[in-house]
Parts: sequence; C-alpha cells; structure tokens
Amino acid sequence: MLKKIALAAGLFSATALASNAAQADVKIGLLGGISGPIAAMAPPMLVSSKLAIQQVNEQGGILGGQKIVTVVGDSACNPQNGVDAATKLVNIEQVVGLIGPHCSGSVLAVANSVTVPAGIALITPSGTSPEITGLEDKGLVFRTVPSDDFQGRSLARTLLELGTKKVAVAYLNNDYGSGLANSFKAEFEANGGEIAGYSAHEDGKASYRSNLAELSRGGADTLVIFDYGDGTGLTILRQALENGFFTNYVGADGMKSDAIIRELGTENLTTFVTSSPVGEKSDSLAVFNKAYIAAGGNPDAIFVTSSYDAAFLMALALEKAGGDAAKVSESIVAVSNGQGEAILPGEWKKAVELIAAGKDIDYKGAAGDLNFDRAGDVPGSYGLFKVDGDTFALQQTLN
Amino acid sequence: MPFMEFVNFYLMPGIVLGSIYALGAVGITLVFGILRFAHLAHGDLATLGAFAALGVVTIFGVSPWVALPVAMIFCAFMAIGIDKVFYDYLSERPKIIVVMSSLGIALMLRALVQVIWGVDTETYTRGIVRPENYWGIRIRDREIYTIIAMFAIVGVLWVFLQKTKWGKAMRAMSDNPDLALLSGVDNRKVTMLTWAIVGILCAASGFFLGINTELKPLMGWTMLLPMFAATILGGVGRVEGAVVGGLIVGIVEETSVLLIPGEYKAAMAFAILLLILLVRPTGLLKGKVL
Repeated sequence: MLKKIALAAGLFSATALASNAAQADVKIGLLGGISGPIAAMAPPMLVSSKLAIQQVNEQGGILGGQKIVTVVGDSACNPQNGVDAATKLVNIEQVVGLIGPHCSGSVLAVANSVTVPAGIALITPSGTSPEITGLEDKGLVFRTVPSDDFQGRSLARTLLELGTKKVAVAYLNNDYGSGLANSFKAEFEANGGEIAGYSAHEDGKASYRSNLAELSRGGADTLVIFDYGDGTGLTILRQALENGFFTNYVGADGMKSDAIIRELGTENLTTFVTSSPVGEKSDSLAVFNKAYIAAGGNPDAIFVTSSYDAAFLMALALEKAGGDAAKVSESIVAVSNGQGEAILPGEWKKAVELIAAGKDIDYKGAAGDLNFDRAGDVPGSYGLFKVDGDTFALQQTLN
Repeated sequence: MPFMEFVNFYLMPGIVLGSIYALGAVGITLVFGILRFAHLAHGDLATLGAFAALGVVTIFGVSPWVALPVAMIFCAFMAIGIDKVFYDYLSERPKIIVVMSSLGIALMLRALVQVIWGVDTETYTRGIVRPENYWGIRIRDREIYTIIAMFAIVGVLWVFLQKTKWGKAMRAMSDNPDLALLSGVDNRKVTMLTWAIVGILCAASGFFLGINTELKPLMGWTMLLPMFAATILGGVGRVEGAVVGGLIVGIVEETSVLLIPGEYKAAMAFAILLLILLVRPTGLLKGKVL
C-alpha cells in the first residue's frame, strides 16, 4: 500500500513538473490531412510550417524568450477526424492558435464546432472552398490561400482561351469539390462554353467507369476533375485513361500530386494539365525558397508557401497580442494590413523589435502580400502546370 | 445507348467489382455462420493482405501474382493469431463485446498498415493497362483473372465444405454448435480452420481490389458496407449466397448511375441492405436470421 502511495505521489510530482515546464512554452496546433486523400501533399506542408516556427525559436523565441511548441494533429481530410483532432488540440493541449486544417470540409467543421466557440483563431493554408468565405466565424477564420472561387473562374476562362469549348466535369462530393465545380461551371457557361456532363462522385469506390461513361456521353473530349490526386482523383484518372473515355484531362490544385505521376507514369500523362496557386514573384518568395531548399524541401510543392505564411503569421500575431488568445485574430489583421514596415519571411528578430517599439509591421508573405479582406480571404494568382519528367512544370499563368 | 457500351462500361465493371465483394462476403458469411458475430475488422484484414502482397512485390521484385499466395498464408496466420489473442479470450462474453472488439482490431490493423507502408496511395505496378478487345467486349486481363480466381477459390471452398470431414464439421458448427460439440467436433480446431480460411479470403479480396485499382490504407474499410450488404442479401451462412449477393451488389452499384446521380452510388449498398432486411430477412438463399 505504502509503495502504491509513493508511486502515486511520484507520478503526481512528475506531471506537476511537466506542466510547469510546459508553461514556459507557447503551443500552436498544426492540423493536417496526414492520412487520407491528401496524404502525399501534407508532409511538405507540415515541414514548411515547422520551418517558420523553427526560425522563430532560433531567433530568440516568442513573448520574451519563450519557445513555440507545435502539436501535430491528423484531420484525415474529413470533418469527423478534423473535429476530433481539433478538440484534442484546443481542450487538452490548450493551443493558443491553430494552423490548419488542410481540407475545406475539415475547416468548416472545425471552425463551426471547435475553434469559433472556443474563441481560438485558425489560419488554414489550403482550405480553398468558397463556402469558407461565408462562414459566421466572428472574424476568427483566416486563410493564406485564395478562395477556389478565383481558381474555378480563372481556370474556366483559360480553358476557353485555349480553345476548349466543351468539357465534362467530375467532382468529389465534398466542400472542396463542389465549391470549385460550381464556380467553374458558372464562369465557363457565362463565357460561352458548354458543360456536356456534370456529376459528383463519392470517395473511396473501386470503380468509376460507369460514372465516366455517363460523363462521356455528352460528347466532350476534355474531362475536368476536381478531386484529390492521392484519392479518388487518381482512380478516376486511371480508369478514364485506360478506357479512353476522354482525350484531354484537366485538374485543379488537389490533383497536383506526385502520386499521379508516380503511379500512372509520365508517358501516360501528356494530355493532363492541372491548375494550382502560384506565389507571385517577390522578394519574399525568393527568401522563402532559399530557406526551404536549405531545409531540404522542394519549394514548388503545393501549398508550401501558404503553409509557411500561416505559421509565421500566427507567430507574429501571437507576439503582437502578447500571448492573449482572444486578441490573436485582430492581431493577424494588424500585422498584415499593408501598413507599417515590411517584414519578409524569416525576419522574426526585426519584427519583434518593431512590435516592442510599438510600431506597425506588415508581413509580406511568400504566397503573396496577404492583406486580408473582411472575410479573412486573400486574393491570389494561379498557374497551369503540365507533367514534365517526374514533376509538374509551369506551362502558363492563369488570368 | 448501344448494348456493347452497356456491357463494357456498366456490366463488366459491375461483375469485377462484384467478384471482389463476393470474396469478402464469403469470409464474412463464414464468421457470421460459424462463430456468430459480425466481423468488422474484415475490411482492414483485406487491406493488410493487399499491402502484404505489396511488401513481397517490393522486397523480392516478383510479379504480384506470385505474391498473392504468400499474402494469403500471411493473412491466414494473422487471422488465427488475432483470434487466439483477442476473440478467443472474449468468447464467453456477450457477442456484442466481440463485435466491438473487432472494430478495435480494425483500427489496429489499419494503424499497422499506416506505420509500415505509410499513408500514400500505392500500386503493384506503375503505369496503366489498357483493356483488350474480345469480340467487342473490352476487358483487361487482370479483370478476367479476378473473375476466374473468385469462382475458383469459392469453388474449392464449396467442395471442401461439402465433401471433407473438416468441411462437414464446420457446417455442423454452423447449424448447431452444441450438437456438434456433443458429436465430438473439436470446437477449437474448427474455429482455427475457419479463421485460416477467412484470412485467405480477405487477402484475396484485398489483393484483387488493389490490382484493379490502387492500394490505400482505407481501401478495405470502405468496402465493408457493400460486403455486409452482399452477405445479408445472399443469406447469412450461405457461401453460394454470398457470391450471388456480391455480384448483385456490384452490378447494381455500377448500373445505378444510369438512373440516379453518381454521388448516390455509394448509397446503393445501404439501400439493398435495408430492403432485404425489410422484405426477406433470411436473404435470397434462406440463411440464418440474426
């Protein structure tokens, strides 16, 4: 009995020590689609976010020398897992801000049922659904990636300019797929294009040949796929290529996944192009690229710039808010509203000194200037990528 | 719509998909019939089998078809091991506890796959395979093999159950376990034998799903509902019923796109399951009522 009490007391003091030590750190949640349909995209994004945090810690830390600790959660790219993981991060880990989730459906669910009720700010680097714009979020939801409303529309205009007048559209039946498909369809038809097939599909089925046969009956020779390249998008593209349902294939950012090239082979993807957000050429982008390459990453991977920005911005906002979670959201706007001295990626020390001196700062992100509008959105620019060797290469920019 | 188009793009994919469902459903029906519980880890055991074959392919560089028997044996031993460690321990408890524990096993198996092989989508062979044309029917070789293998495996199993001593013992356990026990059937050995067969069937269904599409950690889990629908449609405990059920579910799923929007395809298995439970709970071939 005595032994047990001693053991319990030992355990108790051990946990007490651990919590004391933790108080000196600032915890930020990193919620990503580590498993599930964007599994191949998530690791570079997490590495990029962690790079920003690492730079902060190396340059003296946050809030007078404290270290930022990142706690990683897996949203599995679906609403249920996203909410579970976010609940754990917010309630158990007590994070003061959340970077992620990566997928639109998770962002909507996490914001509605976890972070907004808890008053925690969230910056998603890749939740692109137009639905997020209209979220009633009390100003707590931001994104460093532009809404798919822009992407869908600019992709539609570019296809028409390239002479593609008739397409079929297959989209994943979730917030990402349907948001993108709706804005694409509206713009394509408004500018004189014809949608010869338009159909949603569920994730995770083994065969989509009947769906593809239905889509191809409209007579289009181009198929636009709004899906994830690690998930159903790969299955659909494979079955369409194998059976020759269409000649040309167009994807959006979710399809710009290395898994497509790895599994289908470059030689089969000569008629496949995919749109994706691109960083505008800027000093910030150059600085980021250099740092990211030095950290062993490929800066052309999708969403790495926005992931870095989300993390760095969160750190800046925390510093500005003095560590008060309730003030983080207004601080996110304040440190990147186009007014004050410019801060480039990695310039943490300079930013801290300016904040301490009470001066305004303006973070110029790697993905863009990141001047948020009222809904927490940013404008963006896109490129059309083709498969070249083992990777995607920029073919042209979209307007 | 031309008839050949219907055959090529709706019927054939449905039959191939149905064969994969059938292999899984036969395993589920055996567990249901003989051990009397719904085995929720069935899909993830199939995932493990598919990835085990991938492991053999990547390590030894052999053709996936050579890897299939290895994966089957591996899964058979896995299934026996899982039973020994978990289900056997719980066998005296209410069945619902065993069912819930099988859900836990499912999560453990999936985590095992994710730890060993990662979370990326994989394939046995890189590139794409275009279908051959046989008198107007466009079908890939591996799809033909899938259908043939399904009928061969189930055929062997059927003969085994009908003709051999151990097969008869398994059927006796299925009909009345107490009577079987009194007649001298070794309960423990029959249980082990059942799990070995279930493991083999799981590996086969996972493998054929993988070779026809891709390997993903969630591939088996998403097949669980159609497989259960096929089992209950065919009649619980009936091997030939599971085959018929699997083929029907597969074909209905693929042809449903002709009548309803594509996003509701995934709901077809559920609709079939509800309908059969309402109209004919014994299933098409008079199985057990649960």
